[in-house]
Amino acid sequence: MVRTGDELAWEAFVRQFQSRVFGLAYHYTTQAEDARDLAQEVFIRIYENLALIPDEDGCLPWILRITRNACIDHLRRRKARPPLWDLPAEELFDLRSTERNPEDLHFEAARKGLVHRAMQELTDLNREIILLKEIQGLGIEEIAAILGIPVGTVKSRSHRARLELAQALTAVGMGG
Amino acid sequence: MDETFMNPQQPPLGPEASLDLTKAILAHTSGSPCQRLQTLACEYVDGELDQGQASLVRAHLEHCHACSALVTALTEMKRVLPTLAQVDPGPWFTQRILRATLHAPRRDSAFNLRAAWFKLLHRPRIALEIAYLGAAAGMMGLYLPHPTLPEAGSLPAIVRTLSPQHLVQPLLAPAKRVAGAVMQAEKRTSTALKGAFLPKEGLEIQAASGQSRWQLMSYKVLTWLKRAAGSLHSSAKAEEKSSKPANP
Repeated sequence: MVRTGDELAWEAFVRQFQSRVFGLAYHYTTQAEDARDLAQEVFIRIYENLALIPDEDGCLPWILRITRNACIDHLRRRKARPPLWDLPAEELFDLRSTERNPEDLHFEAARKGLVHRAMQELTDLNREIILLKEIQGLGIEEIAAILGIPVGTVKSRSHRARLELAQALTAVGMGG
Repeated sequence: MDETFMNPQQPPLGPEASLDLTKAILAHTSGSPCQRLQTLACEYVDGELDQGQASLVRAHLEHCHACSALVTALTEMKRVLPTLAQVDPGPWFTQRILRATLHAPRRDSAFNLRAAWFKLLHRPRIALEIAYLGAAAGMMGLYLPHPTLPEAGSLPAIVRTLSPQHLVQPLLAPAKRVAGAVMQAEKRTSTALKGAFLPKEGLEIQAASGQSRWQLMSYKVLTWLKRAAGSLHSSAKAEEKSSKPANP
């Protein structure tokens, strides 16, 4: 129904995917306002091409591909790697946490901040693979198509990326 | 007789000494098993190892603090990373999207063209590209062979009065201006890139260390343009001298 341009279907579509799109954009840019602008740009692009929205199974990878491309274009325009800076735990807008206890909420947010910060230590390709595979849950073939690299490279890089991130986290005291 | 031989229940070595001995033996035989564990760690955490290999990994983890920390971090990552997929963009985000899509005025092609033109003009290398095109156009105007004019009788009077000199002369002043701008741009870029290059004879350039292809290319282009601009400048000067009337 969203392909027909029905307003209610479009609103439901936006609500369904906005957290995913914003989350991916946020991990690429590390700036909440840039991520919001990019997410808006992505949804505008989708809206201008409603007829191209794939079926249910292919919808999420398609949206994430558009988001990733928009983020890469944005980073190229900015001509800078995402800077490494102290990320206060409150910056992560995660209202979907099931933790009710404020102390647990803070602990969980701090952990996520640690992981987010450790990800900035990775190489660009390893970080993208972690973002798309471990965080967004895309399949290896989908990631290979999005990044334009062979499936075998994604598989081998995926293991290396996880080890690299685990080592970075171990260095800051997570684990052990 | 040795007491340990008489009493096999008592271990001959303490735990630390035993560990040191194990490490020493491994160092002289297969090498450290930690590297092998790293190749299996992700599959172990994902539960994809067979029983035999999994029990070997577990046995190693009991004695290796570093590998145990690594596997704990991998396990924690497996739990935490998927929770990062969705980040709430804030309370007004949906309304913002709906305003920008459903309620936005339809863009017409003229608006898009204006936006595309604006985007084109604000590309970072646009100044260099315009200078390059201007210099190339100026040189083409001066050095390409001019088409022979048709018979005088078949042309309108104004064209009959034009000679190649009249066609080329108007290009000289802008070509000189472009050449001057290119030389200035080249000076500025050379100063910035000087430290990174080891110039050889002629146009051979060798990057001091891992400079980008774009920097190498732009240096080559600017050096070529400088030469072209220099020869354009000197031919323009010669033209001026020849066109000035001789002193009485």
